[in-house]
Amino acid sequence: MKVKVRFFARFRELLGTDIAAEVESGMILAELVQGIARKTPEGYAAIFDERGSFREFVIVMRNGKRVGSAETATTILADGDEIAVFPPVAGG
Amino acid sequence: MLSQRELERYKRQILLFGEEGQERLKKAHIFIAGAGGLGSPVAIYLATAGVGTLTLADMDVVELTNLNRQILHYDRDIGKKKTASAEEKLREINPDITIRVKDVTIDGTNASRLVGKADGIVDAMDNFPTRYVLNETAVKKRIPLFHGAIRGLYGQATTILPGETPCLRCIFPKAPPKEVFPVVGVTPGLIAMVQATEAIKYLVRDGHLLTNRLFIWDGKEAHAEEICVERDPSCMVCGECREQK
Repeated sequence: MKVKVRFFARFRELLGTDIAAEVESGMILAELVQGIARKTPEGYAAIFDERGSFREFVIVMRNGKRVGSAETATTILADGDEIAVFPPVAGG
Repeated sequence: MLSQRELERYKRQILLFGEEGQERLKKAHIFIAGAGGLGSPVAIYLATAGVGTLTLADMDVVELTNLNRQILHYDRDIGKKKTASAEEKLREINPDITIRVKDVTIDGTNASRLVGKADGIVDAMDNFPTRYVLNETAVKKRIPLFHGAIRGLYGQATTILPGETPCLRCIFPKAPPKEVFPVVGVTPGLIAMVQATEAIKYLVRDGHLLTNRLFIWDGKEAHAEEICVERDPSCMVCGECREQK
């Protein structure tokens, strides 16, 4: 099945955007993003912590709905899913 | 009532909002938290539009490194308090409105008093801990918080209406890490314009507000988009549990 991953802002610089992935059924959201993020060590480190969990401040959306950081490790993807990974900014 | 001078001064926007809208701006009071990269353009444009009372809070001194983006402050202001520098410029820009400045660090102990009876808060801060304080103040007072933040060529903005939209904690439960952020003045300029537009629309009751949506600006790609944001029923600031207390 096909899913799409969209990275925003700095994550886009590090990993590209609108990445279409062909995945097997049963694929977990966090595992898919980890696999893509491993393209660059910097990209991976920006999104995931040492334990392989999404960093607390990273916003993950699935088809426009927020997925909590704990849920990302149990969310099973479906065909056509669009995942957005967004780093909030803090400056002013 | 608008004076003859005000009718003339705001003629072109009275075409947009009517005299009634302009009266609303005149009667309004907006609290701007921060007189830096976001706060400078927000203050300039709200003053120009004739928002009757503006309160600006900032405790910093103008430094040379601020001048690439903090457009209320000039080279001659280096070493001066940002509040004094901002007050001077804003009074010159529009002598018909009231400018108040607070040379203070906003924190949980003083935020409510500083905001006072303001009709809305513009988040022009550079850190999340203070943003969370502003958010709690806005929720407590049931007044809008016009959020904006930037980094480099990226920015985000949303309008928070307590009780109706997610609050800042619902959207950002955890703060991004603290850093010396890269920035070029155009990014806070652009995000500040979104915030100021929202504040004006809210006050004159025109258009659709940037509510339940996070506006995301990617200046690198020259691309804007938005993501939907929702209330978190278990939010520690505005969640149901909290509301029942």
